[in-house]
Amino acid sequence: MNDMQKQSSYEAYLKSTHRIGRIVSAITLVLLVGAPFAIGTLLGAAPDLGETARAFLSVGLVWTVSSVVEFLVYTPMLGAGGSYLAFITGNLINMKIPCAMNAKELVDAKSGTAENEVIATLSIATSSLVTILVLALGVVLLIPLQPVLQSPVLAPAFANVVPALFGAMAYKYYRKDPLLSLVPLCAMIVLFTLVPSLTSSTSFMIIPSGALAILLAWLKYRKEKKGAAAE
Amino acid sequence: MSVLDQLNGGGIYLICGSIVAFIAAVCVIFMVRAWHAGKALGMDVTRMKRAVTASATFSVLPSVGILLGVIALSGSLGVPWPWLRLSVIGALHYETQVADAAAEQLGVSLGSGQMTAQAFPTIALLMSICIMWGMILSALFNKKYLHRLQQGGKTETRKGGGFGDKAMTAMFIGMVSAYIGSYVGGWISGSGRLFSFSGSWTPLAVVFASALVMAVFTYFSEKKGMAWLDNFSIAGSMLIGMLAAALIGQ
Repeated sequence: MNDMQKQSSYEAYLKSTHRIGRIVSAITLVLLVGAPFAIGTLLGAAPDLGETARAFLSVGLVWTVSSVVEFLVYTPMLGAGGSYLAFITGNLINMKIPCAMNAKELVDAKSGTAENEVIATLSIATSSLVTILVLALGVVLLIPLQPVLQSPVLAPAFANVVPALFGAMAYKYYRKDPLLSLVPLCAMIVLFTLVPSLTSSTSFMIIPSGALAILLAWLKYRKEKKGAAAE
Repeated sequence: MSVLDQLNGGGIYLICGSIVAFIAAVCVIFMVRAWHAGKALGMDVTRMKRAVTASATFSVLPSVGILLGVIALSGSLGVPWPWLRLSVIGALHYETQVADAAAEQLGVSLGSGQMTAQAFPTIALLMSICIMWGMILSALFNKKYLHRLQQGGKTETRKGGGFGDKAMTAMFIGMVSAYIGSYVGGWISGSGRLFSFSGSWTPLAVVFASALVMAVFTYFSEKKGMAWLDNFSIAGSMLIGMLAAALIGQ
């Protein structure tokens, strides 16, 4: 195959990758949104769309912004096939991105090249299949453990999944900027102490708390930028 | 039959398992196509094999970490739904937080035995909707975005430097602060009585335990060159934090 044939074969591959990527993304979307309705039918209860909309306004917006940033940052790293697959299979930051970067470095593929496109797709597909396999095996092993997992002894553990998550995340994020973290944390402690009824709407309080943190980060960023420009 | 038994029912396994199987098939299709494209481009098969092998070995440990996340969520959402969410599209920190926010909206708790059959489909729908935007953006703009980058000659993304990364960190700091603030407030002014210190301190103890374990993970990962521990840091910290709650509850 000469270079021109190779180029045209690669262009045809990219074109069909976009077509297949769009189709499977659309199907996955329908399946993922449809699953709660199907499960609801089995449980005899449909999802409450009003409550879903209200909850989305409080917590969904944070993740929507995060999704936009992830799309803009990671798509160029992963190429066409890799990014379609990565956004379908998830676990981007904790697995797919480092996995693809590792494979790329290992075979010395340059970003933006056809080689990188192929390697990133191979890497993300392999990584996703391994996760699917490990989780499927784990789930099969979990079934006999159900009585243990549902025992009253473990009930307090499962009642505290969220504090356990936020403890880990607090260490991870607070250490990036301890001083900045102190302000929203103190503000929220004061607010929740003085208005205890707010504890039933904690997810709504993410909005003022997040806005305060972003405002402080912006002021600090602007100050640093001005300082750098002055030097 | 308890709600958790219903959530672990065969029908739900079938729904979730079918979707996982579909995604597995998509991965195989993309993999085979990329392999053939690589061969057509004249790429060295050994290098492609190396990329596949390295990616497979790289993914085993993080996948076990993700499995621990399935275990952590299985007590409140059953096994099949967290299995689906963490096999496809999701991430542990996202799933837990969104599920909790949705539960709060519906007046239930993620705690064991508190889930209701009415609340679950709404929680599951919110978990699906909140994180689907990356996939939607990818479906709509991937081609155009990559084409624009290629025309501009931009092959690598920005790394740090811009305000975007700082804003993301700040957003997460704000989110974590809201939750920790609520645990402190709930303890100090428990049952709506200001400064009575009559609320539960268990969530706070769990936060501390989990943060402490995360600090230990970070220490070994950053100072002792055990970077592979990162794969387990969030799930491991969560599980030990939850264990602390079980011990306090005795």
